[in-house]
Amino acid sequence: MTDLRRFYLIGFFVLVCFDTFAQVCFKLTANHAMPPEADLAWALRVFSSPWVYAAIVCYIGAFLTWMTLLEHAPIGPAFAASHLEVISVMALSVVLFNEHIGTPQWIGSALIIAGIVCLAISETDGDKPAA
Amino acid sequence: MSATVVTLWLLNILLDTFGQLSFKAAAAGPGLGTGLARWKAMAAQPWIWCGVACYVGEFMVWLAFLSLVPLSEGVLLGSINIVAVMIAGRFLFNENFSPLRTLGILLIASGVAVVGLA
Repeated sequence: MTDLRRFYLIGFFVLVCFDTFAQVCFKLTANHAMPPEADLAWALRVFSSPWVYAAIVCYIGAFLTWMTLLEHAPIGPAFAASHLEVISVMALSVVLFNEHIGTPQWIGSALIIAGIVCLAISETDGDKPAA
Repeated sequence: MSATVVTLWLLNILLDTFGQLSFKAAAAGPGLGTGLARWKAMAAQPWIWCGVACYVGEFMVWLAFLSLVPLSEGVLLGSINIVAVMIAGRFLFNENFSPLRTLGILLIASGVAVVGLA
């Protein structure tokens, strides 16, 4: 394996990890601050949770990793890596939160993942990225 | 999905799309220069602060949304943001849609529909 390939693989892996843990931290924050209400008390409960700060750190980490990767990596695979956390988040939802993945979720996630792969390939082919 | 969940989901789409487009507008302005000067020029633009405000709002909306739906479902429903930003980019910045990109958008939208309507 060349150094560049190793750089991409590690970079994408780090990006997916940051994105995944950010979502897990979001869910832990949400659970901590129950019930959700449009008032100051809820906002205070949110920011009294350590998980909200972990989520912010993961967001910043993901942003910095993304910017570093984009300097070198082709946009297509970078795009796919930044959105395929859907898979890892679903897996962790089952393990950490005992969530049940039903048939609609399986079908829906297969369609969404296929769509993300299509977009990633189309970006590699020279379309300008949307954002 | 309850009315509250749908409202939060729509708000999340609006804030995410508007935020991303604001950042794009701030970054794509002419004559921004390079390096530190570029960041300073961008910080002087209202668009960048509009984007930041949207993201702060989205942060709280997403937390409220995840309080009401399982994480696995939330992350699937949130995928619609990819589609919304691409469609908005097409109309506002004339970004092109290849057949493959159209297919990708349709696949994601139908996947979200399957999860959301179940």
